[in-house]
Amino acid sequence: MEVKKSTLYFGLIILVLIVGGIFFLRGGSSVTGNVVAQEGGALQEETQKVVLSTKNYNYYPSEIKVKVNQPVSITLDEKVQGCLRSFTIKDLGVSKYARTPQETIDFTPTKKGTFTFACSMGMGYGKLIVE
Amino acid sequence: MTFKEFRKSLNGEGVEGELMKTVFISLMTSFVFLAVLYFVKLKNIPDFFLKYGFYLFFAVLSIAIIMPAVRQVRAFKEFPCMSGMMIGMTIGMISGFLPGFFVGATNGMFYGSVFGIAVGIFFGISNGKCCGVMGVMEGIMAGFMGGLMGAMTAVMMLNDNLKAAGIIVFVIGAIILSGLNYMIFKETKGAERKHKEDQFFTMVWSFILTGLTTWLMVFGPRSLLFQ
Repeated sequence: MEVKKSTLYFGLIILVLIVGGIFFLRGGSSVTGNVVAQEGGALQEETQKVVLSTKNYNYYPSEIKVKVNQPVSITLDEKVQGCLRSFTIKDLGVSKYARTPQETIDFTPTKKGTFTFACSMGMGYGKLIVE
Repeated sequence: MTFKEFRKSLNGEGVEGELMKTVFISLMTSFVFLAVLYFVKLKNIPDFFLKYGFYLFFAVLSIAIIMPAVRQVRAFKEFPCMSGMMIGMTIGMISGFLPGFFVGATNGMFYGSVFGIAVGIFFGISNGKCCGVMGVMEGIMAGFMGGLMGAMTAVMMLNDNLKAAGIIVFVIGAIILSGLNYMIFKETKGAERKHKEDQFFTMVWSFILTGLTTWLMVFGPRSLLFQ
């Protein structure tokens, strides 16, 4: 039986894609980082309050230092506008749209390190240093 | 020149008969090169597949779908203004958008944009010139816009479904380029091929683009957001 040229190459392309896919996509999900403590968890330390504002179209301060295993409560003041109100720390699984300055972004970092915080579109960003 | 005839031509002896082969050769060249790179150097990079595997895989696929359209245009060399402008715009836009998107996802908006714009404008010009200055202008504009938009889209989706968006963007790019293959087939109306070449062109460009993309993603500079 004669195989059509296009069918042959189509089959070969699929084969290469399967082999390449197995090779390159074996990493799985790219979500890394630690778990954020749930409400009512065992961690009952004093809350570390942080107020973020804006300066030069970015978060201010752009570097926050917090202590590990102690709850953090971040508020975005009234100067923070637009997409910067959608606050995320990807590596810690933190993501919240704080509509008003009264809304808080609460989480507990359980791992030391430096994590990038940003708005949901990556326009504003800074560093969260967990010590 | 119906779509049925186009499908039939994929098995023929003309340049359309080499489209699938070009995709295959491009994929093989890129994957073999990456496999060698991996065992020589990249395996020492922590979480290599986790960080770059997905984006590199789709960047390689993107190169493989751009190459057939480029070879098809090179085979006929000259086109009327309307077709040439569409060729410059489509190839410039897609070859700017896809690399920009996948590099933008790992290196940030600036470096993704610069890379996407460079690749997009280069392919936009080299293919758009088939109809003269109008196609060249169209290629430059499309490459510039595609590169910027690709990287911007990737960075804006960082905290959303970036990988799913990458697959959707790639599939749409592949459909558009397949449409271009069909359009060129229709416009040339079975005209004789003016430039005959083997697959060396495909291999060289797949090698260059894969190498550049890999270097940029893994060792290249990145925005503060990605450090």
